[in-house]
Amino acid sequence: MFRFNKILVAIDGSEGAKKALRVAVELAKRFDAEIHSISVEEDLPHYAATVGEVVEAKHERNAYFDKVNQESVEFAAKEGVTLRTKVVAGHEVEKTVNYINERKFDLLVIGFMGHSKVFGRIWGSTSQTLTRLAPCTVMVVK
Amino acid sequence: MDNTYVALIMGLLILVASFISVEAAISVAIIEIAMGVIGGNFLGLQSTPWIDFLAGFGGILLTFLAGAETDPQLMKEKFKESFLIGGISFLAPFLLTFAYCYWVAGWSFKAAEIAGTALSTTSLAVVYAVLVETGLTETKIGKIIMASCFVTDFGTALLLSLLFAEENWLTLVFVFGSVVIIFLSPKVMSPILKRYGNRVIEPEIKFLFFLLFLFMYLGKIGASHAVLPVFILGLVLSNALRSNRDLQRKLRVIAFAMITPFFFIKGGMNVSLKEVYANFGILLVLFGVKMGAKVIGVYPIAKKYIPKSATYATLLMSTGLTFGTISSLYGLSAGFINASQFSVLVTVVILTAIVPTFIAQRWFQPNLVEESRVSVDPVKELSALNVIEQREGENV
Repeated sequence: MFRFNKILVAIDGSEGAKKALRVAVELAKRFDAEIHSISVEEDLPHYAATVGEVVEAKHERNAYFDKVNQESVEFAAKEGVTLRTKVVAGHEVEKTVNYINERKFDLLVIGFMGHSKVFGRIWGSTSQTLTRLAPCTVMVVK
Repeated sequence: MDNTYVALIMGLLILVASFISVEAAISVAIIEIAMGVIGGNFLGLQSTPWIDFLAGFGGILLTFLAGAETDPQLMKEKFKESFLIGGISFLAPFLLTFAYCYWVAGWSFKAAEIAGTALSTTSLAVVYAVLVETGLTETKIGKIIMASCFVTDFGTALLLSLLFAEENWLTLVFVFGSVVIIFLSPKVMSPILKRYGNRVIEPEIKFLFFLLFLFMYLGKIGASHAVLPVFILGLVLSNALRSNRDLQRKLRVIAFAMITPFFFIKGGMNVSLKEVYANFGILLVLFGVKMGAKVIGVYPIAKKYIPKSATYATLLMSTGLTFGTISSLYGLSAGFINASQFSVLVTVVILTAIVPTFIAQRWFQPNLVEESRVSVDPVKELSALNVIEQREGENV
């Protein structure tokens, strides 16, 4: 039977990502798979004028994702699944694809619409691009 | 122009800039400069004495923050590499830009010096944002590049002070006073923080602002410029600021909310789009001169110390923004450069914030796996820059 052993879910705190998490947790339970999440801080200021601007934005994003990931971990724990989280800065697609390559995930679960900023959007829809570039099976949850 | 009307328009531009910055994930400074360009070219916005003063103070505060963001420990750690890369990164573009502007473009001696200074800079902030995104802040290459930026910044601050210096006996008062203040400040700061810190009326920030005003005054009576002592003041107080996260954050909040927007908007207001269009050729040449000089100067040394990422390091060392704008605005305020030259220089500076960063990120990003990472720790404030590195928030 076809199965998934390592699942990655992209989490950005949006409603779409929450739906994706619910499905990913369900799949992890069904296949007894490892489940990880990745959150990408893609809205740090580019071309900053002071280091402080970046540092403070990073602190703010870290605080945001701490909260989001805490809720996600608690949700997964309630379902009897251990969720391992990772937060990185950068471009959402690039970082997610690199992480999949690095950790050899066999399924990526993403929400249909995240909260991608304009800077990210100029590169195209995140879910579309991830579906095209991810080196594993991709599930887009609507 | 009525002051209240000017304040209204400025307030609106500053507000809109912050919204756009958040939505576009682009530094508020760049958007404020763009807003200033719109205000100056299309809304008929003109500077007033109070804007001039706030903008001047904004430049001083940015210089202080740049000094305070310096990491002396990192500089010591990577002294040889950073001194060589940072030194040549400053010197090569200064000399080549000066030579081009003075002998080819026919600018005055002072204007050529200002152009050289404005284009010699490397933006630590632009570089830092890139390094955070690529997860390179704690790698060898990241540390060398950041330490090199400190050296380049110092070179720029030193040169700006020298350019504005006019020798008279009051200059000695300025120099002596600066040395005394810089020497005493860390000693005085500690008891002030202990006794008066963490109050809503912020005596410790008022103390810092008083020191900056004092330097501005001494610079004025000494017929020089406060940029170097203010940068060094930031450097000597960097430990105190770093160990007091609340103070650091409050200082940044006040700076970004109320003071530095005037600096960047004023910078943008002085950029004439007509002049940019009319001088487009020289603009491209100056951009090429800066990039070329950085390649000629930095690449061979970077190749020696960070062979696999020499191109990446060279491109990052080619970035510029804050000090380039500061140098240009100081030059304009002092009458060393005219509106046309200012427009060209600031546009080139902004281009250098964007183009080399884009090229470096797109085509020359180092392989992180190959870089020796020193530490990966959850929510850890790394080194003196308060860097928060990519986190492995493993919660099992």
